Amino acid sequence: MLALTDVTKRYDALTALDGVSLQIEAGEFFGLLGPNGAGKSTLMSLVSGLRAADAGELLLDGRPLATRDAATVNAIGLVPQTIALYENLSADENLRVFGRLYGLQGAALTARITECLAAVQLEERRKDAMKTFSGGMQRRLNLAASLLHHPRLLLCDEPTVGVDPQSRNAIFDLLQRLNREGMTIIYSTHYMEEATRLCSRIGIIDHGKIHGLGTLEELLTRLPFAETVSFPRIPGTAAAAAALRSFGELVENGEQSHLRLDSRVRLSQVFAAAEKAGAPDRLFQLKRPTLEDLFLHLTGKSLRE
Amino acid sequence: MKTVLTLVWKDFLLFSKDKVAVSLTFLVPVALIYIFGQVFGVNRGSSGPTGIPLAVVNESGAPEITTLVAALKKEPAFRVVETTPQAGDAPPVPLTEALVREGIKANRYRFALVFPADATSDERFGLRMKFLYNPRNDIETQTVTGLLQKTIFSEAPAILLQSLRKQTSAYIGKEQTDRFYDQMAGAISEAFGYEREAVRESMKKGTMLGQAKAPAATGGAGGASADFLDRIIKLEKEQLAGQQVKSPAATRSVGGWAMMFLMFSLSASAASLFDEKKAGLFLRLLSGPVARTHVLWSKYLFCIALGLVQLVALFFAGRLLFGIDVTSNFGNLLFACLSAAMACTAFGMLLASVARTPAAANGMATFLILTMSAMGGAWFPLSFMPEFMQTLGKFTITYWSMEGFTAALWAGASFVEMLPWCGVQLAIAAVIMAFSLWRFQRGTIFE
Repeated sequence: MLALTDVTKRYDALTALDGVSLQIEAGEFFGLLGPNGAGKSTLMSLVSGLRAADAGELLLDGRPLATRDAATVNAIGLVPQTIALYENLSADENLRVFGRLYGLQGAALTARITECLAAVQLEERRKDAMKTFSGGMQRRLNLAASLLHHPRLLLCDEPTVGVDPQSRNAIFDLLQRLNREGMTIIYSTHYMEEATRLCSRIGIIDHGKIHGLGTLEELLTRLPFAETVSFPRIPGTAAAAAALRSFGELVENGEQSHLRLDSRVRLSQVFAAAEKAGAPDRLFQLKRPTLEDLFLHLTGKSLRE
Repeated sequence: MKTVLTLVWKDFLLFSKDKVAVSLTFLVPVALIYIFGQVFGVNRGSSGPTGIPLAVVNESGAPEITTLVAALKKEPAFRVVETTPQAGDAPPVPLTEALVREGIKANRYRFALVFPADATSDERFGLRMKFLYNPRNDIETQTVTGLLQKTIFSEAPAILLQSLRKQTSAYIGKEQTDRFYDQMAGAISEAFGYEREAVRESMKKGTMLGQAKAPAATGGAGGASADFLDRIIKLEKEQLAGQQVKSPAATRSVGGWAMMFLMFSLSASAASLFDEKKAGLFLRLLSGPVARTHVLWSKYLFCIALGLVQLVALFFAGRLLFGIDVTSNFGNLLFACLSAAMACTAFGMLLASVARTPAAANGMATFLILTMSAMGGAWFPLSFMPEFMQTLGKFTITYWSMEGFTAALWAGASFVEMLPWCGVQLAIAAVIMAFSLWRFQRGTIFE
């Protein structure tokens, strides 16, 4: 559906996107994971047509995005990172403004507003000014405003920043439902939990470059280790630590030892060796590798830095 | 105390980093003080108006009237106009009463003195003249009337004494007259110690009485001499325009204040582009079926409509409060309001296009609006300012708007007669708008 080839965007001396290439298929829930300043919002702004790329090609259904023809514009919905709504207008009035811009009017517009407000659970606040809403409600209305024209591709630029858990879950549920109904979603975030929970495929971006691309499982296979076994550094585990070194990389960190298992090692082998060394297995904790580990591995820094 | 001092230091630090706040605190007030000083003429040797065109028609040819016209020319408040230019290379011709009447109606000048052929007479003691005027600006008219009376009454005694001598000579004969003045000079010389010949010469020229200061204005405060001069100087006043205007002072002042508030409100509306940018609304709009030009033109049209409604509402408020007649020439008043709204909107958009922050836009707006209001005649007549400020005032939107309102409300101007005033405003709007659109396309407001 969406194809980016060698896309580059610069702001004066800063290269925000550096030769990014991506293919996103129809119906995907694609996560763009990276820290602040990685280039996520710039990529969103290029796809939504706000800015033009300095180099490279962006195609939507085979047509250049730069043409900004009606079919392309109507195919895309953007949920901006900021609450891009008029705070003195009511929820209904806000949606009416944006609906009219997309050519909706009359009863059809009213019906669509009702649908969208229901989808974000704000029907009862329809006549209230947006500025009276909580942060989470404003975020939900921000999302509703992007859905009015039935976009096929929804660009969500960190849509849950500063949102309470209840609203976050409401947004997640709605996005997953929309995706199940066929909407393609590109979701940028710096929360690995969100990418893990929502996205069928993830692109890891930093300094304007894509460092990893694939499903969660595919990405995790790029790590040189599989699970991590952690246990306390107490006399009872000292012998086990020595015995376990052969299964992977042992990192001793304060009062804890972390054994990053080689991907070819089976867990049963590890626990058998520990038991043989006399260490009680209840002291051992098993942790699956995460996107955080992968990000650290690919970029050399933490996702939250 | 340390906490307080730290917080004070923090405020100074924040202030010093805010260039707009620094300029609004120091530079803008200094600039405004200078400009207002120039407007009010605080550094001039004499205060008051200068260079007000005063048409003078001298049909008399009497030397006394020539003396009076010369005195008017010396008065800095007036620029005496005695001729009118002709088409081509033809030399200017002297003004006549008919030409003056036409010129006043066309607002080429608003005041004229006509000295008829019988302004002075050997048979009659006194002076006759006509004062024709168009009181478009009430304050200016009152001032001009006062200045004219001061000048005429200052010169009148000497002129009248000469007239009296002529009549005496004609009545009792030259020999008897000379003898009378000789004896009078002798008596004065003996009583007060002056040289007899010097006194005689002064009486001949009429300068002795001329040294007496006449009151500047007629009325109760002038006392007996003023009443006397009032009786012997016949000044026929004739208003040539605006006779039907019910509230002349309010008609002008409401327009001036309305213009100032119009510029403030439209600048604020244009600066709201910054708020929309900050809220991220341009992201949403421009990602949809909206182009930058749509955003700009919608803002422009909104501001024009708002400005038009605001001006009309303020004029109707003027009607309710002061009885201004806004309905007699409503169509052309609407034309004047529309032109003013378009020019002011373009001004507001220009500020938004050149400023980088809303604070900078607001700062510039405050400075320029106050300056234009003062220089453009919104607060008081241009003629009260130094001549160079009067010239500068014509480069302001306020000046052209004020003249447009006055033409519609005061002179009952037709659509064609409104064109010069409104046309200049529309041209200003077109030029400024083209520049601001160019700036918007290259600026950072949509980034």
